[in-house]
Amino acid sequence: MEGQEKQVLRLENVVRDFGGLRAVNHVSLQVEEGEIRGLIGPNGSGKTTLINLITGIYKVTEGDIYFDGKRISGLQPDVIASLGIMRTFQVPRVFRDMTVLENMMVPALSQGQTRQEAKTRAEELLEFALLTRLKNEPAKSLSGGQNMLLQIVRVFMNKKLMLYVMDEPFAGVHESIKGIILKAIKAMNQEKGITFLIVSHEMTTISNLCPKVSVLYRGGVISQGTMEEIANDPLVIDAYLGGQ
Amino acid sequence: MSISLLLPHFITDYWIYVFTVAFYYAIMAAGWNLLGGYTGQFSLCHSTFALIGAYASALTVVKLGLPFWMGILSGTIVTLVLSLGLGIICLRVRGIYLALITWAFAEVVRTFIRVAYEFTGGDRGLNSPYLFKSVKPLPYYYLFLSLTVLAIILIALVMRSRIGFYLRAIRNDEVAARAMGVNTVRWKIFAFMLPSGLAGITGAFYGHYIGLISPVLGEFNEMAMIIIFVVIGGMRTQAGPIVGAISVRYLMELLREWAEIRIVILSAIVILIMRFFNGGLMEFLKRAKGWVRKREAVSAYASMREK
Repeated sequence: MEGQEKQVLRLENVVRDFGGLRAVNHVSLQVEEGEIRGLIGPNGSGKTTLINLITGIYKVTEGDIYFDGKRISGLQPDVIASLGIMRTFQVPRVFRDMTVLENMMVPALSQGQTRQEAKTRAEELLEFALLTRLKNEPAKSLSGGQNMLLQIVRVFMNKKLMLYVMDEPFAGVHESIKGIILKAIKAMNQEKGITFLIVSHEMTTISNLCPKVSVLYRGGVISQGTMEEIANDPLVIDAYLGGQ
Repeated sequence: MSISLLLPHFITDYWIYVFTVAFYYAIMAAGWNLLGGYTGQFSLCHSTFALIGAYASALTVVKLGLPFWMGILSGTIVTLVLSLGLGIICLRVRGIYLALITWAFAEVVRTFIRVAYEFTGGDRGLNSPYLFKSVKPLPYYYLFLSLTVLAIILIALVMRSRIGFYLRAIRNDEVAARAMGVNTVRWKIFAFMLPSGLAGITGAFYGHYIGLISPVLGEFNEMAMIIIFVVIGGMRTQAGPIVGAISVRYLMELLREWAEIRIVILSAIVILIMRFFNGGLMEFLKRAKGWVRKREAVSAYASMREK
């Protein structure tokens, strides 16, 4: 490992094509252990595709992805999850016919926790997320914001979680729920040292939460640095305001 | 349970026969419920695995002269191997495409048995030796009752274990299940093999009970009946398929004199259940309990006010 910081995630020249369309174009990106990294970019810039590549839902066309020093590009999503990378989806994907508590149990059981251990942990997390009174309700009866919250805390059930990739965790949720999500991110980052990679359009939230932000535009990383730095980068201004 | 143990002492051989057949369908329905209900893999070849099990066992006993237990074993192994292959082929398909592939598989197997008549007896059927020396249905009744109980226990154990969580998660959202670390490949294949193996064993025993097996066992009607039992009883409930299979088989026998009108009546029931209780008889029972409780509460309240 070069430097004092340990790299949790490293993308090297990652390319992804969909037919004739190049959605991700030679992206190289490093995320250090314990970071809360923001990933921003206009619509269609390839943010979600990049998340799908990291978590194995899509295969890379070219390039490599390393996690904790091991090459993970080419592995199946469940194997990647077991190594310690888990994610949320832009539109919450909960198990609708299962109860809130059962939803929480899935990632814990899949990682070999005993049922009792998983239940205790789930109840603590649900308490934190203020979802306790809904724990025996099917997930389909939850509101959109509660679903987002559920899919976010569900990932914390995985005790081996090292890197948490979030796709638009603040989109369309009420301020109070957003508050809980922010509190969870900060607590898990400080107490458990979990690294975060957060895609979001909420610039204010990202600038408060993430010391370092990467900007994706047309499938490539065009800028990186503090929010202030990138806000003054002519390339970024061009990308967002549509360079003429 | 105790009713089913004592029942044969109060009914004629004919009805013992009817219930034995009903148990066969109950196991088939319970197995399909695991695959089509809990896991959401709408297979149309479940009865085909019973057909395969029946033929594999009968051929082992008749052509190779091996004992029954070897026949049952070969029926089980053949269905497990074939369902493994089919499960792998079906991994990436869902819904209507899975239904079409499994239906095509069912037709291939059925046609093969018809065409290879020199070996299988074709449409004339194949004599499958009786398991118990006589054709009296009583021992078979207890055999199929035990198999039904074992199947119920097996499926209940699976659904209550962590595998049950995985299968339900896969049906709800396969992508999310994978992202949550569930090995969907392994468990989808498992969900294919377990009910198919169960169908294979049951089919093998069934062949040695009815004595003459034919490709009719693998016809689409058979498959449709199994799905109807599950739907009428209550999909994704543990008792539903059993209740559905036994009550519908019983009803069909009661209406036997009405010949083909039975099918019209059955279809009407399916339509009514789908419209008003799409959770089947189990949901009907649940709601009926609710009504009773409500009435009790209302009358308790009324009597309280009178005082």
